[in-house]
Amino acid sequence: MSCHGDLGQGLTDEWRKTSFDPGYQDCWKSGCHGSDAPKNSFEIPATGAPALAGSGALARFSNSLELYNHIQGKMPFSPAGSLSAEQAWALTATILRMNNKQPGGLTLNETNGAAIPLHRKVDLPENEIPGALILTSILLLSAVGLAFRTGPDQAKQASQSARPNFFHHLHPARIPEAQARFLYTLGAGGIAVFLSMILLLTGLLEMYYYIPTPQGAPVSVQTITTLVPFGNLVRNLHFWSAQFLVIVITVHLLRVVLTGSYAPPRHFNYVIGLGLLVFILLLNFTGYMLRWDEGIHWALTVGTNLLKTIPWVGNGLYQFAIGGTSPGSATLTRFYTWHIFGLTLGVVILVAWHAFRVRRDGGIAAPSTGQPAGESITRFDLVKREVLAMVVAGLVLLLFCVIFPAPIGAPISGTNLMPGDSRAPWFFLWIQELLKAGDPFFLGVVTPALVVVVLALLPTIFPNAKNHELGCWLPAGNRVGQVITVVILLTILFLTIKGSIR
Amino acid sequence: MKINGMKEFQRLSRRDFIKISTNALLGLGGVLGLAGLFRYFSFQPDPGTPKEWDLGDPAAFPIGSRTERRDIPAVIYNRDGKIVAFSLTCTHLGCTVDDDDKEFSCPCHGSRFDQDGQVIEGPAQKALNPLRVEISEGNILRIHID
Repeated sequence: MSCHGDLGQGLTDEWRKTSFDPGYQDCWKSGCHGSDAPKNSFEIPATGAPALAGSGALARFSNSLELYNHIQGKMPFSPAGSLSAEQAWALTATILRMNNKQPGGLTLNETNGAAIPLHRKVDLPENEIPGALILTSILLLSAVGLAFRTGPDQAKQASQSARPNFFHHLHPARIPEAQARFLYTLGAGGIAVFLSMILLLTGLLEMYYYIPTPQGAPVSVQTITTLVPFGNLVRNLHFWSAQFLVIVITVHLLRVVLTGSYAPPRHFNYVIGLGLLVFILLLNFTGYMLRWDEGIHWALTVGTNLLKTIPWVGNGLYQFAIGGTSPGSATLTRFYTWHIFGLTLGVVILVAWHAFRVRRDGGIAAPSTGQPAGESITRFDLVKREVLAMVVAGLVLLLFCVIFPAPIGAPISGTNLMPGDSRAPWFFLWIQELLKAGDPFFLGVVTPALVVVVLALLPTIFPNAKNHELGCWLPAGNRVGQVITVVILLTILFLTIKGSIR
Repeated sequence: MKINGMKEFQRLSRRDFIKISTNALLGLGGVLGLAGLFRYFSFQPDPGTPKEWDLGDPAAFPIGSRTERRDIPAVIYNRDGKIVAFSLTCTHLGCTVDDDDKEFSCPCHGSRFDQDGQVIEGPAQKALNPLRVEISEGNILRIHID
């Protein structure tokens, strides 16, 4: 750094006089640098080398990542670009320290550098795990208390005279015990609602910091993750809830098929549920895009180019999806609005409709017995089971959030495309594997659409379970539907695993 | 009677215990959650406006000159060799005042100030803020906001 001075003051007269031998103090005339200089030397700009520290230094850079990109691309002056990423980050950190702007305890890299400003000291949030764990345990205890505060006396009269609170009121006064067994329902529908609530809440919180512009998005995501107190936890909760939601909905679908529950009159609600799955996948895809960092680059390119392969309407659909003829800031605005409003509104409406239809269709599919009093449970018992499922799901979710951080990448810079990031998000890995086999329209658009259509038509074109078979696993009545669904899901699972271990 | 009373007492206390402790936990959780929310919102992503402005060589402000800088916003006078500056932010509700060479007038609610920043007409009650001016090392004119 001798060009920039020992304290980062720049190539000042004073620095040259105190540190160089008398014959070499004029860098422009001493013969070391310049057009006639020896090989491997270089000309020094007439303006000298700028200061790195002090008031007004480095004014052209706003955050550490910009400084890093400059150092890695242009420094040392000759030969430029010879520093490794680690060396360049170490230099960036050193310069931050010289300016007293380096937050303690942070190792700068491409996933947090954009969040660390050069001209303003920021403090890292304190460790948020203990606080989160304390809050979680308190909520857990109170959840258990809530579930069990209705004493046995009240439970007895619950169906008749006890006045339910709002949450209890959302449930039927009594339901047959057979409709509420965990080994039958797997709690999947309820857990899906629970995860959706967490997604709504954490998504709302993220919106207070997220900036939906190509420049702002990756910086604001890094800011949420690195600097905002509890921001990392909020983002991890949002990410993992979204991933688990896909899995839980799939389990829910599998349960409904393997118990024959989609038989009329529930066939319409089954289609609503499939629609919800498609909406959730689109929400996951748009949400994945909102990071707008290098990790999403190829998924964005491939995902939108697939639309172009559709005959007749492909180009129109493509331009509708990305808001132009090539991905850009309009694309991010569209994805953002779809994600936070359009698709979310659709899901809220469909979930309400789905839950309403469950009751309209006579509750969860179960054997139609004479329902003697002993075989039904009250809404208070039902809520207890729901709370239990929420507690278990919440604990698993929190465990993942603490152990596995949500993915994050460097902002898209154009010069630094990583070929390793070409994998689709995991829920679309199976489509990516299919795409390797040939025609993109048939494999990437028609096949996934066919999967949805075939699943939607199960109640219509294949035999359904008989009434007396409902509420049991693997009824003989809809064996064909079960086999088709399992084969489809196993194929998708196989392709997903194949794609992920590549 | 006494035994019945005991039973009554024990039954109530168990249920009340669950109810009270659950409510207390919920309340505590709510307070902690609010505290966490408060901390979540406490981060400020934007650096804010600069607190000091370097205006370069003081010679650019000769005696008798009057310079308006609406980006700060401030007006800088050199009165008989002494450089003074006023904020152009109206002391009423923060709009930037307009200048017609004789006086400053606020476009929002009509306050008027004279060339010294004193109130001619309300609703503003206080004069325009005088700003601290210094010649810093390297002969640079610097003004401080607040």
